[in-house]
Amino acid sequence: MKIMVDILQLLLLILGAPLVRGIIARFKARLQKRRGASIWRPYVELFKLLRKEDLTPPTSSAVFRLAPVLLFGCTVCVAAFIPVAHVSALLGSRGDFFLLVYLLGLGRFSLSLGALDGGSAFGGMGASREALISSLAEVPFLMGLVALAILSSRADITGMVAWTLHQNIFNISTVHILAFTSLAMVVLAETGRMPVDNPTTHLELTMIHEGMLLEYSGPSLALIEWASAIKLHAMLALLIALFGPWGMAAGGSGWGLATALLLYCAKVTVLMVLLSVIESAAAKLRMYLVPDFLGVASAVSALAVIFTMWVKR
Amino acid sequence: MPMGPIEMAFAYLLSVLGVFVPAILIVSRGARARRLAITLILTAGVAGGLVAVSSFLWQTTSLLDLSWATPFPFSFAVDRLSAFFLLLVCAVAVPVTIFASPYFDLHYSEQQRRWTWAFFSLFLLSMIVVVTASTGFAFLAGWELMTLVSAALILIEGDSPERRHNVFVYLLMMHVGAAAVAGCFFLFLPYSHSLDFGMIRAAGAAMPGGIRAAVFLSAFVGFGAKAGLIPLHLWLPRAHPIAPSPVSALMSGIMLKTAVYGFVRFAFDFLGGGPWWSGYVVLVVAAFTGLLGILYAIAEHDLKRLLAYSSVENIGIVFLGLGTSLIFLAHHSLLGAGLALVGALLHAFNHAFFKSLLFLGAGAISSSTHTVDLNELGGLQRRMPVTGAAVLIGCCSIAGLPLFNGFVSEWLIFRSFLAGSSLVDAKAGIILPLMVGILALIGGLAAACFVKAFGVAFLGRPRSAEAEHAQEAPLGMRVGLWMLGAGCICIGILPGLLLRPLVSLVQVLVPGAGVPEETLSIAYIIPWIAAIVLGTSALAALLRPRARMARTWACGLPGLTSRMQYTSTVFSKPIRSVFAQVYRPDRKVEQLPTDQPYFPASIAYQSVRTTSYERVLYRPFVELFISLAHRLRRLQTGNIQIYLLYIFLALVSLLTFLRFQR
Repeated sequence: MKIMVDILQLLLLILGAPLVRGIIARFKARLQKRRGASIWRPYVELFKLLRKEDLTPPTSSAVFRLAPVLLFGCTVCVAAFIPVAHVSALLGSRGDFFLLVYLLGLGRFSLSLGALDGGSAFGGMGASREALISSLAEVPFLMGLVALAILSSRADITGMVAWTLHQNIFNISTVHILAFTSLAMVVLAETGRMPVDNPTTHLELTMIHEGMLLEYSGPSLALIEWASAIKLHAMLALLIALFGPWGMAAGGSGWGLATALLLYCAKVTVLMVLLSVIESAAAKLRMYLVPDFLGVASAVSALAVIFTMWVKR
Repeated sequence: MPMGPIEMAFAYLLSVLGVFVPAILIVSRGARARRLAITLILTAGVAGGLVAVSSFLWQTTSLLDLSWATPFPFSFAVDRLSAFFLLLVCAVAVPVTIFASPYFDLHYSEQQRRWTWAFFSLFLLSMIVVVTASTGFAFLAGWELMTLVSAALILIEGDSPERRHNVFVYLLMMHVGAAAVAGCFFLFLPYSHSLDFGMIRAAGAAMPGGIRAAVFLSAFVGFGAKAGLIPLHLWLPRAHPIAPSPVSALMSGIMLKTAVYGFVRFAFDFLGGGPWWSGYVVLVVAAFTGLLGILYAIAEHDLKRLLAYSSVENIGIVFLGLGTSLIFLAHHSLLGAGLALVGALLHAFNHAFFKSLLFLGAGAISSSTHTVDLNELGGLQRRMPVTGAAVLIGCCSIAGLPLFNGFVSEWLIFRSFLAGSSLVDAKAGIILPLMVGILALIGGLAAACFVKAFGVAFLGRPRSAEAEHAQEAPLGMRVGLWMLGAGCICIGILPGLLLRPLVSLVQVLVPGAGVPEETLSIAYIIPWIAAIVLGTSALAALLRPRARMARTWACGLPGLTSRMQYTSTVFSKPIRSVFAQVYRPDRKVEQLPTDQPYFPASIAYQSVRTTSYERVLYRPFVELFISLAHRLRRLQTGNIQIYLLYIFLALVSLLTFLRFQR
C-alpha cells in the first residue's frame, strides 16, 4: 500500500513536470498581456521530439549519447526522494539530503560532458558557465538543508518533513525563514530561471543551460527537456515539503490523500505564480553578478545554521 | 619464534622487494631478467595484500624482528591500522606495476629501465616498511628511503637544471618534514625510554600537556609536509609533473597516504587525541588546503600539475575528517570521532585509487600524444575509448559523485560535520556544521575541475595533430587502468565492503569509538540508487533507438575548426575571475607599435600566476638562511691550521662538558 503511494507520488512528479512548465509559461504570457500557448503544449513538444531522429555530431563519442540518458536517470532518482502528498517517498527515509544534492550533481556532470562533446563553442560556453554557477550554488543548497536537519535532528527528507509537520504553523523560527530564503534563491539558480539564467534565450551572450543543449536534437533533446522539467517540479515540491508541509497526509486514508493532493496543487500553483512574477519583473543578472547573488544566498544559509544554536536550546 | 604463514609471506615480500629484485636487475641485463623482476614485484604485491587481509582478520601482533641485523631495534608489526594501509599500498602497487611495464618499455632506454625498476621496487619496499614498522628506527629508515628513492626515480628521466632545482625543493621540504618527524620520536624518548611503538603508546597518555602539544604540532608539521598541506605543499606541483607517470601515481596515490598513516598513528594511537585546540588547528589548515588546492587545480592546463594540485585538495579533505575527529575526541563524543575518522581513512583509500588511476591516464595520454597540455588535446575518447572510459571513472570518483567511491567518503565526512551540531560546546556546535559549506564548495569546484579535465582532453575535436593521430594505449596499460577503475566502482556501489572493516579498525584504534548505526545505511541505499538510476537510464535509452550523423551547428557558416572550441584556459576563466583575489595573476600586455593604441600591429599577452605565500612565507626564510650562510662562510677560511684549531677547541669543550656531566 505504502509503496504504491510512493510510486504514485514519483509518477506525479515525473508526469506532471511538463504541465508545471506549461502553466508557468501561460502565467508569464498573461502577465505580458499575451494569450499564451495551451498549458499542454510541453507534452505535445515532448511527443514531437521523441518521434524525430537523433542527430549526433561526427566528432562526438559515446559520451554524447549517454549523457542525456544518465541525466534523466539521476533526475528521476532525485524525484524519488521527495514527498508530495504523503509524508513518505520511495527513497525519502533511507537516503539523506547530501545524496539528493550530489545526485543532481551527477546529472549536471554528465550533461556538461555531453555539451563539451559536441565540439562547438556553445557547448563549452554553457558548460563553463554552468560549472561556475553550480559549484557556487552547492554551498547554500547544502547549508540551508543542514540548518533544517539540525532543527529536526534528522538527515533524511521525510524525517525533516515529518518534524515540520508536527510544528505549529505560527511557531516558525528565524531559521526557517532564513533557510527558505536561501533555498528559494538556490532553486532559481539550480533550475536555470531568472534572474540567474533565462530559459527562453538563445543569445550566446546570455545563455547558460540552453547553451549546453544546442547540439542535441530529437529524443535526446526530449529527455533533457523532460529532465529539466522534472528538476523544476521536484525543486518546487521540495520547497513545499520542507517549508509548508501542513496538510500533507500521514496516515493511509483515501480522503486524507485526496485533500492533501488538492492542497499540494494549490501550493504549487502559488509557487508557479510567484515564479512567473519574478521572471516577468526581474531582469537577468549579468554573468559576473551571479556569484554575488549566490554569495548572498550562502551568507543567509550560514546565518540559518548559526541561528539553530539559539532555536534548539 | 616459529614463523607462521603470515610471517613467511611478509619475509618473502621484504626480501623480494629489498634484495632479490634489485640484485637481479643489477647483476643481469636483458628483457628476461626484467620480466622476472616485474613478476616478482607482482607476487610480492599479492603477498602483501594477503598479509594485510589475514592480519586484519586475525589481529596478529609481531611479524618480524630484524634487530639482529641492525644496530638499533628494527622490527615490524601489523595491527589493524597498519594492515589497512598495507592493503592500500599493495592494492594500488599491483595495477601500477602492470601499467608501468609497457610504459617504461616505450619511454626508456635499456639502461634507464634497469635502474628504474630497481628503484621502483625499493620505493614500494620503503612505503611498506613505513606502514608496518613497529619501532621508531625502522619507521625513520623507511621514511628516509622513501624520499631518496622517489627523488632518484624523478632524476632518472633526465637532469636539466630546472629538474634539478625542483628535485632540490622536494628533497629540502622532505627533510624539514623528516626532521620534525624525528623530533616527535625524540620528544617521546625521555618518557618511553625506547623507540618501540608499544612503549611509546604506553608513555603517550602519561606525558605532561606541554610535551604532548609539542609532539602533536611537530607531527602535524612533519607529516603535513609529506602530505602536502598548504603552505607546505610547494614540492607537490613541482615534483609530480616531472616524474614519470607511474611514479607520480605511486607518489600521489600511496606516498601521501603514508603521511596520513603517520599522522593517525601519532595523533590517535600514541597521543589518543591532541590538546583541545588541536582539532581546530587541523580543521583550519585543512579547509585552506582543500579550497586553495582545488582553486589552483582548476586554473591549471597542464594535466599533471592539475592532478598534483587536486592531490593537495584531497589531502585537505582527509585532514578535514581527521580534524573533525580530533574535535569530537576532545569533547569525548566517541561516535562522532569514529564517524569522522572512518570517513578520513576511507577517503585516503579512495584517493589512492582514483588519483593513481588519473595519473596513469595522464601517462597513457602522454605516451600516445607526447603532451599533457590540455589545450593541445581533445577528441581522445574516439581514439582511445578504453583508456578514456577508465579515466572518466576516475574523474567521476574524484569529483565525489554518487555511485563512485569518492562520494562515499565525502558523505561520511559531511555526516560527521552534521553530527557536530549535537555537541554541547557552542564553538564546535557552530563551526562543524558551517564546515559543510566549505566541503560543498570544494566538492562543487572539484566537479567543475574534472568536467574541464575530461571534457577538454577526451571530448570534442582534437586541438593538435598529435591528438588527431593518437592511438589506443597498449594492453598492459589498459589492464592497469581498468583494475583501478573497477576498484573505484566496486567501492562506490558496495561501500559496505570497506565500511564494516573500517569501523572495527576505528574501534581498536580509539577505544570505545564507533559509528552511528544510521550512517552505515549508506551501504544499503547506494546499490538501490544505482539500480534506480541505471534502470531508468536504460529505459530512457529505449526511447531513442537510432541516430544519424550530422554536422555540428556552426551558425550556418562552413568550416567549424577545433580552434573555435572552448579550451581549458577559457573554461576556467569565469571561476578564475570570481576568485581573482586568490590567484593574483601578473598580467602583461604589450602592444606594438605603442604610438597607435587603436591600430596595434601585434599584441602580446602574458599572465603568470604567482603563488603569493611563496613570496610572503618562503622568501624571507630563504633570504635569512642565505645571509646566515654568508656569515658562516667567514669560518671557512681554507686555512688548515684554523681547521685544526676548530677541532682542538671542539675536543676541549667536549671533554669539559663530560667532566661536568659526572
